[in-house]
Amino acid sequence: MPKEVQPFVMTSLKDARSQILGVLSHILSALRFDKEVALFTQGLGYAPVDYYHGLLKNMVLSLASELRENHLNGFNTQRRMTPERLASLSRVCVPLITLPDVDPLVEALLVCHGHEPQEILQPEFFEAVNEAILLKKISLPMSAVVCLWLRHLPSLEKAMLHLFEKLISSERNCLRRIECFIKDSSLPQAACHPAIFRVVDEMFRCALLETDGAPEIIATIQVFTQCFVEALGKENKQLRFALKTYFPYTSPSLAMVLLQDPQDVPREHWLQTLKLISELLREAAEDQTHGSRRGPLESWFLFIHFGGWAEMVAEQLLRSAAEPPAALLWLLAFYYSPHDGRQQRAQTMVQVEAVLGRLLAMSGSSSLSARDLHTAAGQGTETDPRAPAQQLARRLLLHFVLWAPGGHTIARDAIALMAHTAEITHEIIGFLDQTLYRWDRLGIESPRSGKLARELLKELRTQV
Amino acid sequence: MESLLQHLDRFSELLAVSRTTHVRTWDPVTVRRALQWARYLRHIHRRFGRHGPIRTTLERRLHNQWRQEGGFGRGPVPGLANFQALGHCDVLLSLRLLENQALGDAARHYLVQQLFPGPGVPDADETLQESLARLARCGSAVHMLRFNGYRKNLNLQEDSLMKTQAELLLERLQEVGKAEAEGPARFLSSLWERLPQNNFLKVIAVALLQPPLSPRPQEESEPSIHKTPGEGSQALVHWLLGNSEVFAAFCRALPAGLLTSVTSRHPALSPVYLGLLTDWGQRLHYDLQEGIWVGTESQDVPWEELHNRFQSLCQAPPPLKDKVLTALEACKAQDGDFEVPGLSIWTDLLLALRSGAFRKRQVLGLSPGLSSV
Repeated sequence: MPKEVQPFVMTSLKDARSQILGVLSHILSALRFDKEVALFTQGLGYAPVDYYHGLLKNMVLSLASELRENHLNGFNTQRRMTPERLASLSRVCVPLITLPDVDPLVEALLVCHGHEPQEILQPEFFEAVNEAILLKKISLPMSAVVCLWLRHLPSLEKAMLHLFEKLISSERNCLRRIECFIKDSSLPQAACHPAIFRVVDEMFRCALLETDGAPEIIATIQVFTQCFVEALGKENKQLRFALKTYFPYTSPSLAMVLLQDPQDVPREHWLQTLKLISELLREAAEDQTHGSRRGPLESWFLFIHFGGWAEMVAEQLLRSAAEPPAALLWLLAFYYSPHDGRQQRAQTMVQVEAVLGRLLAMSGSSSLSARDLHTAAGQGTETDPRAPAQQLARRLLLHFVLWAPGGHTIARDAIALMAHTAEITHEIIGFLDQTLYRWDRLGIESPRSGKLARELLKELRTQV
Repeated sequence: MESLLQHLDRFSELLAVSRTTHVRTWDPVTVRRALQWARYLRHIHRRFGRHGPIRTTLERRLHNQWRQEGGFGRGPVPGLANFQALGHCDVLLSLRLLENQALGDAARHYLVQQLFPGPGVPDADETLQESLARLARCGSAVHMLRFNGYRKNLNLQEDSLMKTQAELLLERLQEVGKAEAEGPARFLSSLWERLPQNNFLKVIAVALLQPPLSPRPQEESEPSIHKTPGEGSQALVHWLLGNSEVFAAFCRALPAGLLTSVTSRHPALSPVYLGLLTDWGQRLHYDLQEGIWVGTESQDVPWEELHNRFQSLCQAPPPLKDKVLTALEACKAQDGDFEVPGLSIWTDLLLALRSGAFRKRQVLGLSPGLSSV
């Protein structure tokens, strides 16, 4: 290196250091923006570290109350906040969002929309707030979060995607965990606002279509709906929206029946309720009116929301010794295979009735063999195990094994016969987890069945 | 306990020196010791902040220090402002040293290394770094909001800068009052001499309008060694009443509405305020040619301003409003109880106020019935 350059390098290092120190000093010391204020505080003996926190708090509160006043006194144009000022305020808040002192201002910006028809606040602001909410770096009241999601659709979508990511990366087939994640996301409470519910529902529908009706998605939708209904129940009755706003393409009577929690309906009436659901659903599903938004897929999508009832059908069929009601058979066939034509469905119903008959005949006997059970359920034939009818048969078999007194002894053998692929094992695990989850909520099962189910679940989980 | 108190004394000295050129003699070892002491005291504050007896003792020691430095007549305390300051005395010290140009290179280098060691360094004082980071963020936030969203609130008592200054003043007064009974008066007089007076007067007004301070949550569990909140305001009122020159300036400089609010809130001030207004009024004489009331000297309060203030007072809630009207009527009576304008300023004022009130009622669409004025 030429000699002339060396001293240059040395001086500039020293300069660099003193520059950096200067900047640090500048950042930390009182940036005097107001000579009088600085003189005053110094005169009192205070240093910035003593009062900056209080000053920030006062400024934030003053701005927040100005925003609220602007929001309420729309006609008092003297004190109006200009759109430019609002926009610049929102921009300024972006780097400040994670400072807890600034929360009241963020909340006010979200909740107090002005009187302009178009959105004034900067999109970067909404994105930053949403990010902070999802990463739990800010805590805002629910009303502010709802305002955010209503005003900025991408934020809502991002929140849903964030939830999906969490669900995908967590352990499979654990409804309790899914419930935790869902409740944690604040989406059920937000969905009490119909606009948000519709967007969320649409995203669930897309996910379902993309995955070809994956059982995990169905389970998630069911848990979400349950949390949503709970949140709806806690809402102020006077501010409730009509059911039609949540389910615009459903008849009000059907929506009302489905939204009932089985817990709130006396046990003796469950059968009746299911029959009613079946009737109304069938009517909607077979509606051929031109231009109507009803039809089999819409009706099916509606029905699967309500796991409390949907999962109850098979159980009810198995428990009653009487002749299985056609309505319930139809409902079960529809649940597992919404696409079927009339003839196909009728055939499925007949098959199911036959299986039920055989199983019920075996329920009285004290000594059962797993293989007999398997044959009775129509398993072991050459058909594709993933076909809906096969899925349905497995379901009935598993219900039987958990419920019938003789079934407990051969449970493991029966399952071993069924589970010849990893996929089916997962399906069985999902079924057990879901059943236990339901039983816990409704408190309806005998301790022995519960214990058996738990043991089976544990064993199967170690296998995959 | 005694060693703790000595520690406190030594640290206060240290803090005072850290601003002066004496730090030229400091080497890295001195800096390290100073930071250690600060850390120790910060720890003490955290542990014993709620412990009544220890806190009282420490506070009393601080008050002693202030008294020894000449009490409150001579200017701001160079050391710790109050007990709360112990909670961030390390930040105070660090910043003073950082800003002090006289600090030697080696010592400065050591200081910077301690404050900003970078990630993964063992033994680093994380609390200090967090406090510095928080201060920087807080300061930046204040400045960003100041330049991008803040508008000076015309209603002074709601302006955040004014409010903050007022809160600080009240806090300091309370502190000073604890240290010494006559402290607040002397302190306020010294402030009056040292600080920009216009701003000071505004801050006093805003301070007098603050809602009574609620006790901070951490102090609730302690025995009440503090006097009741509102102590600061009382000290202010007391001082204003005892310093007529200040009070005259106070009443002259501040807008009518603000003074009315202050006087409503602190009835002790109303007789003196009214007395001042009366004095001002009596200095005016009637100019027959122009048909208006004028003053003789340039510093006399003009008619419009006088009228403004009385008008504002008449819009105040009952006890004050009635007092004002009674006073005006009394002055009018003293002058001869004229009804004709141009003879007594009090008559004219009352006439102007009544017609003003009448016009206001018209504008508001109220019936022109018997007004209470």
